Amino acid sequence: MAESRATRLVETVLRCYPARWRRRHGDEAAELAALLIKDGTPAVSIAWSYLAGAAREWLTPRPGQRLSTAACALLVAGCALGVSGGLLASAAPARAATSQARGPAHCQPDSVEPVPTAVRAIGHPQVIIREAGHGRSC
Amino acid sequence: MTVGKRDGKAGQDVLRRIGEASVLILISLADEPRHGYALIQDIKELADVELGPGTLYGALDRLERFGLIESLPAKDRRHPYQITAPGAAALRVHLDSLERVSAAGRLRLQLGGI
Repeated sequence: MAESRATRLVETVLRCYPARWRRRHGDEAAELAALLIKDGTPAVSIAWSYLAGAAREWLTPRPGQRLSTAACALLVAGCALGVSGGLLASAAPARAATSQARGPAHCQPDSVEPVPTAVRAIGHPQVIIREAGHGRSC
Repeated sequence: MTVGKRDGKAGQDVLRRIGEASVLILISLADEPRHGYALIQDIKELADVELGPGTLYGALDRLERFGLIESLPAKDRRHPYQITAPGAAALRVHLDSLERVSAAGRLRLQLGGI
């Protein structure tokens, strides 16, 4: 029972390798894992080793695969992270503006008492306005 | 000087930056062809190093790409690998280089009086 679970775990991890690698080593790698498990090697450490190998396999540029392809993939990933970061950053002032617009006149930033120096020193005006606006009776 | 080292014997040592796993695999294949499981067992015995299967296949692919080993026709589902002539030559150069470094280290330890 435990052995079949271990085999399933290793087979799942082996699916992380590129198809080209699986065609070449897939069967042998599964058999090798089965032998190692029979010897008493923990399935988790085998799976972990294959997982790290799969990551290396995807990240190492092959002779047929141009370096620029890998660079493009990294660039796209970086852009995706940048865009999502930008969206998150722009969501904060938008939320601040919305709550400011909805609030009554006494919630205007100019009409409230000054914010603590520590907050002001950070230099995020949006945050200051929002906190100031809700600092009193809003 | 780095340039001097590259031009010297260390420059001919192609295994210098290939990684310990690859060197151990070459040493294991030096006497006879072996498949993955036999390689792991042999390396554990000769160097007390447990190679993970992922590391093993990565190193085998690299060595094959460099022409230092070649795979033989599969028996059952296992591919035996054997060392090539360039692989044996590269291993010899690397072992010589290790021996020189080792000798220098031992000598310095004696000179240091420890």
